[in-house]
Amino acid sequence: MEQILNILIADDNPSDRILLKAILSQFGHNVISAVDGQEAVEKFNPNTIQLVCLDVKMPRKDGWEAALEIQQTAGDLFVPIIFLSGVADPIALSNCLRIGGTDFISKPYSPALITAKLNAIVRLLVMQKTLEEQRDAMSLYNEQLVHDQNVAKVVYENITHSNCLKDPALSTVHYGTHTFNGDVILAAYKPNGGMHLLLGDFTGHGLSAAIGALPLADIFFDWTKKGFLMRQIIPEINARLKSILPANMFCSAAFVDIKVNNKSIEIWNGGLPDLLFFSQQSKAPARFESKNLPLGILPPDVFECQIDPVTFVPGDRLVVFSDGVYEAQDKSGAMFCHSVLNPLYEGEIADDQALDWMVEQLTKEGVLENPHDDISCLSVRLDTNIGIESPDRGVPTSHHEAPADFSFEYVLNADSLRNTDPLPYVLQIITTVPGLSSFSSQIFMILSELYSNALEHGVLGLSSYKKSSSDGFSQYYDEREQRLAALTEGYVKISVKVTSSGNERVLALYVEDSGDGFDYQNISFDMSNSELLYNRGLALLDQLCHKLEFSKGGRGVTAYYHWQVGQES
Amino acid sequence: MVESSFDDKTECLTILVDGRFDYSCHKLFKEAFVSAKKAASVYEIDLSRVTYLDSSALGMLLLLRDHAGGEKADVRLKKPNGAVLDILKIANFHRLFDIEE
Repeated sequence: MEQILNILIADDNPSDRILLKAILSQFGHNVISAVDGQEAVEKFNPNTIQLVCLDVKMPRKDGWEAALEIQQTAGDLFVPIIFLSGVADPIALSNCLRIGGTDFISKPYSPALITAKLNAIVRLLVMQKTLEEQRDAMSLYNEQLVHDQNVAKVVYENITHSNCLKDPALSTVHYGTHTFNGDVILAAYKPNGGMHLLLGDFTGHGLSAAIGALPLADIFFDWTKKGFLMRQIIPEINARLKSILPANMFCSAAFVDIKVNNKSIEIWNGGLPDLLFFSQQSKAPARFESKNLPLGILPPDVFECQIDPVTFVPGDRLVVFSDGVYEAQDKSGAMFCHSVLNPLYEGEIADDQALDWMVEQLTKEGVLENPHDDISCLSVRLDTNIGIESPDRGVPTSHHEAPADFSFEYVLNADSLRNTDPLPYVLQIITTVPGLSSFSSQIFMILSELYSNALEHGVLGLSSYKKSSSDGFSQYYDEREQRLAALTEGYVKISVKVTSSGNERVLALYVEDSGDGFDYQNISFDMSNSELLYNRGLALLDQLCHKLEFSKGGRGVTAYYHWQVGQES
Repeated sequence: MVESSFDDKTECLTILVDGRFDYSCHKLFKEAFVSAKKAASVYEIDLSRVTYLDSSALGMLLLLRDHAGGEKADVRLKKPNGAVLDILKIANFHRLFDIEE
């Protein structure tokens, strides 16, 4: 560990000064001399001097004062100071060492002792330099990391937050343990009104947990916008996560589909604590337990969707939270689910206060100061206007609109009826018509009402009177599934025709089924009786369309939709 | 803490986890089944001394299941306490593992 040092020495005794300089020079070091403390301070330059030797007793400025000033000049740079002293002044020496002197050399000088001490100092300097370099490298690395994380965070938030979480029906609480976290809350309006919601919790915390949220959010938003159903989106997300995540990573999640047309929600719970449904009719909330494996575990061929349907009346509320809440520990060490949350489960907390109350409990029990897990809660006030009158639905843009004139027919026979949902594809073709894309939500709603009527009442022969009670409502959907699975005969034909005349555009949607038809003469389009769980579909259609026309004894329905171009819509 | 033992006769690898079963066990748990001398035909995970289990522990169990042959794996989770069983049930892990209470 050979190193040439620039050494500043200060001693008012000329013979001692010259002797020390001679000894140090002999080892090859460069020596700068000063006759007292004042001169030493003036000659000290922290960038060139690596070691300072100060006599304790000097005129003008003694070693103690000079050392203080030199340390101040040196700032963050480490410059060791060695005091030179005779045996006569032990107290002065101890004072000097106390303020940060590295060592001392006693007079008269012994070349052997000085060599040993210099070697020790050189080692110290080398170590110090290595440490400084490592520290600088670390802080540079950390800066880089923070920068990268911030950039990634912007991208991450753009993808996971391009949603409608600001909708007045929703309130959310979110506490992450890191810059990134493994919890996501996603919400998106469906093209035919209503909303899809997803609260997800990926294994682990931090960046590695957050990364899976990107494909999840991507599929969620994209497929919802295109009009796919919850039971189509969930398997897609599962398959994608299964193919990209390592075996030990998965996403516990709850998916909620709010259907405003028939005042119902559908709940899929895979690995999250029970969802709580607060109905105004009963005190304690209904609990919807996890009936599915989390997303990203099962391969697509064995994945299944266990979904719970529920009907709601405006004002009912759904509360969802991640296991960060459920498994949080109170001050006595008990898990929240067995202690703190009991009043919530028993219905003693007003449902619209549930979130605030939970945050209060988490704060009180000290969980938020030191969270072990990411914490997310979501509360939805259910209503029939969700996703219909929302302000940020996306403003339609007016642009030059070319005339359109086309038609197509799409016939689905039994096999296809079982296995496909034609609506997103049909919608996609229709919305290629210039100007029509701004009405896509209404078109989709008309199309999906017509199609589900044709399929459920026509082809499958289900009676909508079944839906008149809440129990019957879920029976109805069970039966729909059974009959559809067993379907061997039947068809639904969808015909689309778009015509233009001047500024007027007309879309004619014709849907025909293989069923028995129905008595359309006596149908009531009265929406005032909105408590009815059935028949609301046709009344709704009547309002949305310009004209509704039945044919073939009720087996065929044509909906006419008119719009104008060349004006602000 | 993670301990493991291999029974040559039954080709059963037993892994015992003690205390909190979370990310801190990751290395030891993985070593316990990856570094076994012989391939086991049965895996028994003794959870009787586990006080708490988090989602990364669930992930480790999935990793073990994968290692043991996925769908064909014979992995038994033994004697989880109430809280642990609760977590396993929420995740629907009884569909992937034999849980012996």
